[in-house]
Amino acid sequence: MEGIAIAMLGVALAVGLAGSGSAIGIGIVGQSACGLISEDPDKFGQTLLLQALPGTQGIYGLLAGFLIMQDIGIVGEELVELTVWQGYAFLMAALPIAIAGFSSGIYQGRVLASSINLIAKRPEEMGKGIVYAVMVETYAVFALLATILMLFGIDV
Amino acid sequence: MLIDDTIYGYAVARVKAMETRLLDQGHFERMINSSNTDEALKVLSETAYSAALAELEDAYNFEAVLGDELSYTFNTVLNISPVPELIEMLALRYDIHNLKVLFKAKFLGVKSDLLIPVGSMELSKLEYAVSEDNYLFLPGKLRRSANSINEDFMLNRDPQIIDLILDQVLYEQLMASAREHDSQFLEGLFVRQIDLSNLKTLIRIKRMGLNRDFLTRVLLPNGSLSVHRLTAMIDEPVESLISMLAISDYADLVSEGVREWSEKGSASLLEKLSDNFITAYLKEGKWVPFGIEPLVGYLWAKELEIKNIRIVLVGKINKLPAESIRERMRDVYI
Repeated sequence: MEGIAIAMLGVALAVGLAGSGSAIGIGIVGQSACGLISEDPDKFGQTLLLQALPGTQGIYGLLAGFLIMQDIGIVGEELVELTVWQGYAFLMAALPIAIAGFSSGIYQGRVLASSINLIAKRPEEMGKGIVYAVMVETYAVFALLATILMLFGIDV
Repeated sequence: MLIDDTIYGYAVARVKAMETRLLDQGHFERMINSSNTDEALKVLSETAYSAALAELEDAYNFEAVLGDELSYTFNTVLNISPVPELIEMLALRYDIHNLKVLFKAKFLGVKSDLLIPVGSMELSKLEYAVSEDNYLFLPGKLRRSANSINEDFMLNRDPQIIDLILDQVLYEQLMASAREHDSQFLEGLFVRQIDLSNLKTLIRIKRMGLNRDFLTRVLLPNGSLSVHRLTAMIDEPVESLISMLAISDYADLVSEGVREWSEKGSASLLEKLSDNFITAYLKEGKWVPFGIEPLVGYLWAKELEIKNIRIVLVGKINKLPAESIRERMRDVYI
Protein backbone atom coordinates (compact mmCIF):
# COMPACT_ATOMS: atom_id res chain seq x y z
CA MET A 1 0.00 0.00 0.00
CA GLU A 2 3.01 2.33 0.56
CA GLY A 3 3.53 2.83 -3.19
CA ILE A 4 0.40 4.89 -3.72
CA ALA A 5 1.85 8.14 -2.29
CA ILE A 6 4.92 7.90 -4.52
CA ALA A 7 2.77 7.33 -7.59
CA MET A 8 0.69 10.37 -6.66
CA LEU A 9 3.84 12.48 -6.52
CA GLY A 10 4.25 11.49 -10.17
CA VAL A 11 0.75 12.74 -10.92
CA ALA A 12 1.44 15.99 -9.11
CA LEU A 13 4.69 16.62 -11.01
CA ALA A 14 3.27 15.77 -14.42
CA VAL A 15 0.24 18.03 -14.02
CA GLY A 16 1.95 20.73 -11.95
CA LEU A 17 5.23 21.23 -13.77
CA ALA A 18 3.91 20.87 -17.31
CA GLY A 19 1.05 23.17 -16.34
CA SER A 20 3.48 25.76 -14.95
CA GLY A 21 5.46 25.65 -18.18
CA SER A 22 2.28 26.38 -20.11
CA ALA A 23 1.20 29.12 -17.73
CA ILE A 24 4.56 30.91 -17.99
CA GLY A 25 4.66 30.48 -21.77
CA ILE A 26 1.14 31.79 -22.25
CA GLY A 27 1.93 34.66 -19.90
CA ILE A 28 4.97 35.70 -21.93
CA VAL A 29 3.03 35.66 -25.20
CA GLY A 30 0.18 37.55 -23.55
CA GLN A 31 2.46 40.42 -22.53
CA SER A 32 3.76 40.80 -26.07
CA ALA A 33 0.27 40.47 -27.51
CA CYS A 34 -0.98 43.33 -25.32
CA GLY A 35 1.80 45.54 -26.65
CA LEU A 36 0.75 44.84 -30.22
CA ILE A 37 -2.99 45.16 -29.54
CA SER A 38 -2.60 48.56 -27.91
CA GLU A 39 -1.37 49.88 -31.27
CA ASP A 40 -3.27 47.57 -33.64
CA PRO A 41 -6.44 46.04 -32.12
CA ASP A 42 -7.43 44.34 -35.38
CA LYS A 43 -4.82 41.66 -34.82
CA PHE A 44 -6.58 40.24 -31.76
CA GLY A 45 -7.65 37.04 -33.52
CA GLN A 46 -4.16 36.26 -34.74
CA THR A 47 -2.52 36.94 -31.39
CA LEU A 48 -5.06 34.79 -29.56
CA LEU A 49 -4.14 31.82 -31.73
CA LEU A 50 -0.44 32.37 -31.03
CA GLN A 51 -1.06 32.77 -27.32
CA ALA A 52 -2.97 29.48 -27.11
CA LEU A 53 -0.09 27.39 -28.50
CA PRO A 54 1.99 26.96 -25.31
CA GLY A 55 -1.16 25.58 -23.66
CA THR A 56 -0.57 22.12 -25.06
CA GLN A 57 2.15 21.19 -22.55
CA GLY A 58 -0.34 21.58 -19.73
CA ILE A 59 -2.78 19.35 -21.57
CA TYR A 60 -0.09 16.67 -22.09
CA GLY A 61 0.75 16.83 -18.38
CA LEU A 62 -2.89 16.47 -17.42
CA LEU A 63 -3.25 13.55 -19.82
CA ALA A 64 -0.25 11.77 -18.30
CA GLY A 65 -1.52 12.49 -14.79
CA PHE A 66 -4.92 11.14 -15.71
CA LEU A 67 -3.48 7.90 -17.08
CA ILE A 68 -1.58 7.32 -13.84
CA MET A 69 -4.63 8.12 -11.72
CA GLN A 70 -6.61 5.60 -13.73
CA ASP A 71 -3.92 2.93 -13.34
CA ILE A 72 -3.72 3.34 -9.58
CA GLY A 73 -7.45 3.61 -9.07
CA ILE A 74 -7.73 7.21 -7.87
CA VAL A 75 -10.39 7.59 -10.50
CA GLY A 76 -12.46 4.40 -10.47
CA GLU A 77 -13.89 2.10 -7.86
CA GLU A 78 -11.04 1.43 -5.44
CA LEU A 79 -7.33 2.08 -4.92
CA VAL A 80 -4.91 -0.49 -6.36
CA GLU A 81 -2.46 -2.18 -3.97
CA LEU A 82 1.02 -0.85 -4.99
CA THR A 83 4.44 -1.88 -3.74
CA VAL A 84 7.06 0.84 -3.19
CA TRP A 85 8.83 -0.15 -6.40
CA GLN A 86 5.64 0.06 -8.42
CA GLY A 87 5.07 3.50 -6.92
CA TYR A 88 8.56 4.60 -8.04
CA ALA A 89 7.91 3.22 -11.51
CA PHE A 90 4.90 5.53 -11.85
CA LEU A 91 6.91 8.47 -10.56
CA MET A 92 9.70 7.84 -13.08
CA ALA A 93 7.21 7.47 -15.91
CA ALA A 94 5.77 10.91 -15.06
CA LEU A 95 9.13 12.70 -15.19
CA PRO A 96 9.66 13.09 -18.97
CA ILE A 97 6.50 15.12 -19.55
CA ALA A 98 6.96 16.99 -16.25
CA ILE A 99 10.47 18.18 -17.16
CA ALA A 100 10.11 18.68 -20.91
CA GLY A 101 6.64 20.16 -20.49
CA PHE A 102 7.98 22.80 -18.12
CA SER A 103 10.93 23.90 -20.22
CA SER A 104 9.29 23.61 -23.64
CA GLY A 105 6.28 25.63 -22.47
CA ILE A 106 8.52 28.53 -21.48
CA TYR A 107 10.69 28.45 -24.58
CA GLN A 108 7.73 28.05 -26.86
CA GLY A 109 6.31 31.16 -25.24
CA ARG A 110 9.51 33.07 -26.02
CA VAL A 111 9.45 32.00 -29.65
CA LEU A 112 5.81 33.02 -29.90
CA ALA A 113 6.50 36.43 -28.33
CA SER A 114 8.94 36.94 -31.22
CA SER A 115 6.22 35.75 -33.59
CA ILE A 116 4.02 38.52 -32.17
CA ASN A 117 6.76 40.99 -33.16
CA LEU A 118 6.84 39.30 -36.54
CA ILE A 119 3.11 39.72 -37.20
CA ALA A 120 3.27 43.31 -35.96
CA LYS A 121 5.23 44.02 -39.13
CA ARG A 122 4.18 41.19 -41.45
CA PRO A 123 0.82 39.69 -40.51
CA GLU A 124 0.87 37.54 -43.66
CA GLU A 125 3.87 35.60 -42.29
CA MET A 126 2.06 34.27 -39.22
CA GLY A 127 2.27 30.69 -40.48
CA LYS A 128 6.06 30.79 -40.35
CA GLY A 129 5.99 32.11 -36.81
CA ILE A 130 3.82 29.17 -35.83
CA VAL A 131 6.15 26.68 -37.55
CA TYR A 132 9.08 27.91 -35.42
CA ALA A 133 7.02 27.42 -32.28
CA VAL A 134 5.92 23.94 -33.37
CA MET A 135 9.60 22.93 -33.55
CA VAL A 136 9.69 23.43 -29.77
CA GLU A 137 6.45 21.50 -29.42
CA THR A 138 8.10 18.38 -30.90
CA TYR A 139 10.02 17.75 -27.71
CA ALA A 140 6.96 17.98 -25.51
CA VAL A 141 5.35 15.38 -27.78
CA PHE A 142 8.39 13.10 -27.53
CA ALA A 143 8.30 13.41 -23.75
CA LEU A 144 4.62 12.55 -23.65
CA LEU A 145 5.32 9.54 -25.85
CA ALA A 146 8.05 8.33 -23.50
CA THR A 147 5.78 8.82 -20.49
CA ILE A 148 2.94 6.83 -22.09
CA LEU A 149 5.23 3.99 -23.21
CA MET A 150 6.68 3.74 -19.71
CA LEU A 151 3.21 3.69 -18.17
CA PHE A 152 2.14 0.85 -20.48
CA GLY A 153 5.11 -1.15 -19.29
CA ILE A 154 4.12 -1.08 -15.60
CA ASP A 155 2.28 -4.18 -14.33
CA VAL A 156 -0.18 -3.61 -11.53
CA MET B 1 18.67 34.71 -9.56
CA LEU B 2 17.90 34.61 -13.24
CA ILE B 3 16.86 38.03 -14.47
CA ASP B 4 13.44 37.92 -16.11
CA ASP B 5 13.95 39.61 -19.46
CA THR B 6 10.39 38.91 -20.58
CA ILE B 7 9.28 42.12 -18.84
CA TYR B 8 10.28 43.76 -22.15
CA GLY B 9 7.71 41.75 -24.14
CA TYR B 10 4.95 44.36 -24.04
CA ALA B 11 7.15 47.33 -24.88
CA VAL B 12 9.01 45.61 -27.71
CA ALA B 13 5.83 44.35 -29.38
CA ARG B 14 4.29 47.81 -29.10
CA VAL B 15 7.35 49.45 -30.60
CA LYS B 16 7.30 46.92 -33.46
CA ALA B 17 3.70 47.92 -34.18
CA MET B 18 4.66 51.61 -34.03
CA GLU B 19 7.56 50.99 -36.42
CA THR B 20 5.08 50.11 -39.16
CA ARG B 21 3.95 53.75 -39.14
CA LEU B 22 7.42 55.15 -39.74
CA LEU B 23 7.90 56.79 -43.12
CA ASP B 24 9.59 54.52 -45.63
CA GLN B 25 11.82 55.27 -48.59
CA GLY B 26 8.77 55.50 -50.84
CA HIS B 27 7.24 58.38 -48.87
CA PHE B 28 10.51 60.29 -48.96
CA GLU B 29 10.96 59.69 -52.68
CA ARG B 30 7.49 61.09 -53.36
CA MET B 31 8.22 64.11 -51.18
CA ILE B 32 11.53 64.73 -52.95
CA ASN B 33 9.93 64.39 -56.39
CA SER B 34 6.97 66.63 -55.56
CA SER B 35 6.87 69.88 -57.47
CA ASN B 36 6.76 72.27 -54.49
CA THR B 37 6.55 72.53 -50.71
CA ASP B 38 2.77 72.24 -50.60
CA GLU B 39 2.89 69.01 -52.59
CA ALA B 40 5.54 67.65 -50.25
CA LEU B 41 3.43 68.55 -47.23
CA LYS B 42 0.48 66.82 -48.85
CA VAL B 43 2.47 63.58 -49.03
CA LEU B 44 3.35 64.04 -45.38
CA SER B 45 -0.30 64.51 -44.46
CA GLU B 46 -1.05 61.00 -45.75
CA THR B 47 1.15 59.60 -42.99
CA ALA B 48 1.14 59.49 -39.18
CA TYR B 49 1.62 63.26 -39.25
CA SER B 50 -1.80 63.93 -40.76
CA ALA B 51 -3.60 64.97 -37.55
CA ALA B 52 -0.87 67.36 -36.46
CA LEU B 53 -0.52 68.89 -39.92
CA ALA B 54 -4.28 69.42 -40.24
CA GLU B 55 -4.28 71.60 -37.14
CA LEU B 56 -1.41 73.66 -38.44
CA GLU B 57 -2.47 77.13 -39.58
CA ASP B 58 0.70 78.11 -41.38
CA ALA B 59 2.06 75.12 -43.28
CA TYR B 60 5.57 76.51 -43.19
CA ASN B 61 5.59 76.33 -39.42
CA PHE B 62 6.21 72.58 -39.62
CA GLU B 63 8.97 72.71 -36.97
CA ALA B 64 6.29 72.82 -34.28
CA VAL B 65 4.80 69.58 -35.61
CA LEU B 66 8.18 67.87 -35.71
CA GLY B 67 9.01 68.98 -32.16
CA ASP B 68 5.68 67.74 -30.83
CA GLU B 69 6.12 64.42 -32.62
CA LEU B 70 9.56 63.90 -31.05
CA SER B 71 8.28 64.83 -27.63
CA TYR B 72 5.29 62.48 -28.00
CA THR B 73 7.52 59.62 -29.16
CA PHE B 74 9.99 60.06 -26.33
CA ASN B 75 7.30 60.15 -23.68
CA THR B 76 5.54 57.10 -25.12
CA VAL B 77 8.71 55.02 -25.16
CA LEU B 78 9.57 56.26 -21.67
CA ASN B 79 6.14 55.26 -20.38
CA ILE B 80 6.11 51.76 -21.83
CA SER B 81 9.71 50.90 -20.97
CA PRO B 82 9.82 48.39 -18.10
CA VAL B 83 13.13 49.97 -17.03
CA PRO B 84 12.38 53.67 -17.49
CA GLU B 85 15.81 54.69 -16.18
CA LEU B 86 17.44 53.35 -19.34
CA ILE B 87 15.31 55.64 -21.51
CA GLU B 88 15.30 58.50 -19.04
CA MET B 89 19.07 58.88 -19.24
CA LEU B 90 18.73 59.59 -22.96
CA ALA B 91 16.70 62.73 -22.15
CA LEU B 92 19.95 64.40 -21.12
CA ARG B 93 20.90 64.62 -24.81
CA TYR B 94 17.96 66.95 -25.43
CA ASP B 95 18.72 69.02 -22.33
CA ILE B 96 22.26 69.48 -23.54
CA HIS B 97 21.09 70.33 -27.05
CA ASN B 98 18.74 72.97 -25.64
CA LEU B 99 21.47 74.41 -23.44
CA LYS B 100 23.80 74.66 -26.44
CA VAL B 101 21.13 76.47 -28.43
CA LEU B 102 20.34 78.82 -25.56
CA PHE B 103 23.97 79.67 -24.85
CA LYS B 104 24.72 80.31 -28.49
CA ALA B 105 21.62 82.46 -28.88
CA LYS B 106 22.62 84.43 -25.81
CA PHE B 107 26.23 85.04 -26.83
CA LEU B 108 25.37 85.83 -30.41
CA GLY B 109 22.47 88.00 -29.31
CA VAL B 110 19.86 86.23 -31.44
CA LYS B 111 16.65 84.39 -30.76
CA SER B 112 16.77 80.72 -31.70
CA ASP B 113 13.95 78.46 -32.85
CA LEU B 114 15.98 75.27 -32.66
CA LEU B 115 14.88 74.31 -29.16
CA ILE B 116 13.46 70.79 -28.74
CA PRO B 117 10.48 70.44 -26.40
CA VAL B 118 11.89 67.20 -24.92
CA GLY B 119 14.20 66.56 -22.03
CA SER B 120 14.37 66.01 -18.31
CA MET B 121 14.29 69.74 -17.53
CA GLU B 122 11.56 72.16 -18.48
CA LEU B 123 12.43 74.46 -21.34
CA SER B 124 11.22 77.57 -19.55
CA LYS B 125 13.49 76.78 -16.61
CA LEU B 126 16.48 76.33 -18.90
CA GLU B 127 15.66 79.56 -20.68
CA TYR B 128 15.43 81.38 -17.38
CA ALA B 129 18.70 79.85 -16.13
CA VAL B 130 20.70 80.90 -19.18
CA SER B 131 19.21 84.36 -19.51
CA GLU B 132 19.64 85.16 -15.80
CA ASP B 133 22.95 83.32 -15.34
CA ASN B 134 21.36 81.38 -12.52
CA TYR B 135 22.16 77.68 -12.74
CA LEU B 136 21.20 76.67 -9.22
CA PHE B 137 18.62 74.09 -10.20
CA LEU B 138 20.88 72.31 -12.70
CA PRO B 139 22.42 69.04 -11.47
CA GLY B 140 25.96 69.33 -10.06
CA LYS B 141 28.22 68.68 -13.05
CA LEU B 142 26.03 70.61 -15.43
CA ARG B 143 25.97 73.59 -13.10
CA ARG B 144 29.76 73.73 -12.91
CA SER B 145 30.16 73.51 -16.68
CA ALA B 146 27.48 76.12 -17.29
CA ASN B 147 29.52 78.45 -15.11
CA SER B 148 32.75 77.57 -16.87
CA ILE B 149 31.15 78.23 -20.26
CA ASN B 150 30.43 81.76 -19.15
CA GLU B 151 34.01 82.28 -18.03
CA ASP B 152 35.55 80.60 -21.06
CA PHE B 153 33.47 82.57 -23.47
CA MET B 154 34.55 85.84 -21.93
CA LEU B 155 38.16 84.81 -22.62
CA ASN B 156 37.92 83.11 -26.00
CA ARG B 157 34.84 84.60 -27.61
CA ASP B 158 34.44 81.34 -29.49
CA PRO B 159 30.97 79.75 -29.51
CA GLN B 160 32.42 76.33 -30.41
CA ILE B 161 33.66 76.07 -26.84
CA ILE B 162 30.03 75.69 -25.76
CA ASP B 163 29.60 72.46 -27.74
CA LEU B 164 32.87 71.05 -26.52
CA ILE B 165 32.27 71.70 -22.83
CA LEU B 166 28.66 70.53 -22.83
CA ASP B 167 29.46 67.37 -24.80
CA GLN B 168 31.97 66.43 -22.12
CA VAL B 169 29.32 66.59 -19.40
CA LEU B 170 26.85 64.75 -21.60
CA TYR B 171 29.00 61.76 -22.44
CA GLU B 172 30.54 61.51 -18.99
CA GLN B 173 27.03 61.29 -17.54
CA LEU B 174 25.75 58.89 -20.21
CA MET B 175 28.68 56.50 -19.81
CA ALA B 176 28.28 56.54 -16.04
CA SER B 177 24.57 55.76 -16.31
CA ALA B 178 25.12 52.97 -18.83
CA ARG B 179 27.72 51.38 -16.55
CA GLU B 180 25.55 51.80 -13.50
CA HIS B 181 22.73 49.89 -15.21
CA ASP B 182 25.16 47.41 -16.70
CA SER B 183 23.86 47.94 -20.21
CA GLN B 184 26.52 46.84 -22.70
CA PHE B 185 24.30 47.80 -25.58
CA LEU B 186 24.00 51.42 -24.44
CA GLU B 187 27.70 51.54 -23.58
CA GLY B 188 28.46 50.37 -27.11
CA LEU B 189 26.23 53.12 -28.48
CA PHE B 190 27.88 55.84 -26.40
CA VAL B 191 31.41 54.64 -27.20
CA ARG B 192 30.58 54.94 -30.91
CA GLN B 193 29.06 58.38 -30.43
CA ILE B 194 32.12 59.48 -28.47
CA ASP B 195 34.45 58.22 -31.22
CA LEU B 196 32.47 60.04 -33.89
CA SER B 197 32.40 63.20 -31.83
CA ASN B 198 36.16 63.00 -31.21
CA LEU B 199 36.89 62.52 -34.90
CA LYS B 200 34.83 65.60 -35.70
CA THR B 201 36.52 67.59 -32.94
CA LEU B 202 39.95 66.59 -34.22
CA ILE B 203 39.20 67.77 -37.76
CA ARG B 204 37.54 70.94 -36.50
CA ILE B 205 40.46 71.88 -34.26
CA LYS B 206 42.89 71.09 -37.06
CA ARG B 207 41.02 73.38 -39.39
CA MET B 208 40.87 76.12 -36.75
CA GLY B 209 44.63 75.82 -36.38
CA LEU B 210 44.53 75.38 -32.62
CA ASN B 211 47.26 73.51 -30.79
CA ARG B 212 47.67 70.09 -29.24
CA ASP B 213 47.04 71.25 -25.66
CA PHE B 214 43.66 72.55 -26.57
CA LEU B 215 42.77 69.33 -28.34
CA THR B 216 43.77 67.20 -25.35
CA ARG B 217 41.51 69.31 -23.20
CA VAL B 218 38.41 68.90 -25.34
CA LEU B 219 38.62 65.31 -26.57
CA LEU B 220 36.16 63.03 -24.78
CA PRO B 221 37.49 60.13 -22.73
CA ASN B 222 36.00 56.58 -22.84
CA GLY B 223 36.06 56.25 -26.65
CA SER B 224 37.49 53.22 -28.42
CA LEU B 225 40.02 55.41 -30.26
CA SER B 226 42.49 56.53 -27.65
CA VAL B 227 42.84 60.24 -26.97
CA HIS B 228 46.61 59.79 -27.24
CA ARG B 229 46.43 58.38 -30.78
CA LEU B 230 44.03 61.08 -31.86
CA THR B 231 46.10 63.97 -30.50
CA ALA B 232 49.13 62.59 -32.34
CA MET B 233 47.23 63.26 -35.57
CA ILE B 234 46.93 67.01 -35.03
CA ASP B 235 50.06 67.92 -36.97
CA GLU B 236 49.76 65.10 -39.50
CA PRO B 237 48.04 65.37 -42.88
CA VAL B 238 44.52 63.98 -43.22
CA GLU B 239 45.89 61.03 -45.22
CA SER B 240 47.67 59.62 -42.18
CA LEU B 241 44.46 59.77 -40.15
CA ILE B 242 42.77 57.82 -42.92
CA SER B 243 45.51 55.21 -42.98
CA MET B 244 45.56 54.99 -39.18
CA LEU B 245 41.87 54.08 -39.18
CA ALA B 246 41.99 51.96 -42.34
CA ILE B 247 41.40 48.72 -40.48
CA SER B 248 38.91 50.10 -37.97
CA ASP B 249 35.11 50.26 -38.21
CA TYR B 250 35.48 53.90 -39.13
CA ALA B 251 37.50 53.29 -42.31
CA ASP B 252 34.81 54.17 -44.87
CA LEU B 253 33.41 56.99 -42.81
CA VAL B 254 36.79 58.65 -42.45
CA SER B 255 38.04 58.08 -45.98
CA GLU B 256 34.87 59.54 -47.52
CA GLY B 257 33.59 62.00 -44.94
CA VAL B 258 36.83 63.45 -43.64
CA ARG B 259 38.30 63.73 -47.11
CA GLU B 260 35.26 65.65 -48.32
CA TRP B 261 35.48 67.91 -45.30
CA SER B 262 39.14 68.72 -45.79
CA GLU B 263 38.86 69.10 -49.57
CA LYS B 264 35.54 70.87 -49.96
CA GLY B 265 35.18 72.35 -46.49
CA SER B 266 31.75 70.83 -45.90
CA ALA B 267 31.07 68.61 -42.89
CA SER B 268 27.65 67.51 -44.11
CA LEU B 269 28.81 64.21 -45.64
CA LEU B 270 30.65 63.26 -42.44
CA GLU B 271 27.56 64.14 -40.39
CA LYS B 272 25.42 61.97 -42.62
CA LEU B 273 27.85 59.04 -42.55
CA SER B 274 28.05 59.35 -38.76
CA ASP B 275 24.27 59.07 -38.48
CA ASN B 276 24.28 56.07 -40.82
CA PHE B 277 27.02 54.47 -38.72
CA ILE B 278 24.89 54.73 -35.58
CA THR B 279 21.84 53.45 -37.48
CA ALA B 280 23.82 50.40 -38.58
CA TYR B 281 24.81 49.69 -34.96
CA LEU B 282 21.25 50.06 -33.68
CA LYS B 283 19.92 47.83 -36.46
CA GLU B 284 21.92 44.95 -34.98
CA GLY B 285 19.60 45.01 -31.97
CA LYS B 286 16.43 45.54 -33.98
CA TRP B 287 15.06 42.01 -33.62
CA VAL B 288 16.00 41.39 -29.99
CA PRO B 289 12.70 40.03 -28.62
CA PHE B 290 13.27 40.99 -24.98
CA GLY B 291 15.53 43.97 -24.34
CA ILE B 292 16.04 47.71 -24.45
CA GLU B 293 17.57 47.57 -27.96
CA PRO B 294 14.39 47.92 -30.09
CA LEU B 295 13.18 50.78 -27.86
CA VAL B 296 16.35 52.79 -28.29
CA GLY B 297 16.35 51.87 -31.98
CA TYR B 298 12.84 53.20 -32.42
CA LEU B 299 13.69 56.49 -30.72
CA TRP B 300 16.66 56.90 -33.02
CA ALA B 301 14.53 55.95 -36.03
CA LYS B 302 12.04 58.66 -35.15
CA GLU B 303 14.80 61.22 -34.70
CA LEU B 304 16.22 60.35 -38.11
CA GLU B 305 12.77 60.47 -39.69
CA ILE B 306 12.28 63.97 -38.33
CA LYS B 307 15.74 64.94 -39.54
CA ASN B 308 14.93 63.59 -43.01
CA ILE B 309 11.59 65.37 -43.15
CA ARG B 310 13.35 68.60 -42.21
CA ILE B 311 15.99 68.05 -44.91
CA VAL B 312 13.34 67.47 -47.57
CA LEU B 313 11.06 70.35 -46.55
CA VAL B 314 13.88 72.86 -46.13
CA GLY B 315 15.23 71.67 -49.49
CA LYS B 316 11.82 72.16 -51.09
CA ILE B 317 11.38 75.63 -49.58
CA ASN B 318 14.80 76.63 -50.90
CA LYS B 319 14.04 74.96 -54.24
CA LEU B 320 17.06 72.68 -54.15
CA PRO B 321 17.30 70.12 -56.95
CA ALA B 322 16.05 66.61 -56.03
CA GLU B 323 19.54 65.14 -56.34
CA SER B 324 21.10 67.38 -53.72
CA ILE B 325 18.23 66.73 -51.29
CA ARG B 326 18.64 63.01 -51.85
CA GLU B 327 22.35 63.02 -51.08
CA ARG B 328 21.74 64.69 -47.71
CA MET B 329 19.16 62.11 -46.64
CA ARG B 330 20.02 59.62 -43.88
CA ASP B 331 19.46 55.87 -44.27
CA VAL B 332 16.13 54.82 -42.78
CA TYR B 333 16.05 52.39 -39.84
CA ILE B 334 13.25 50.16 -41.15
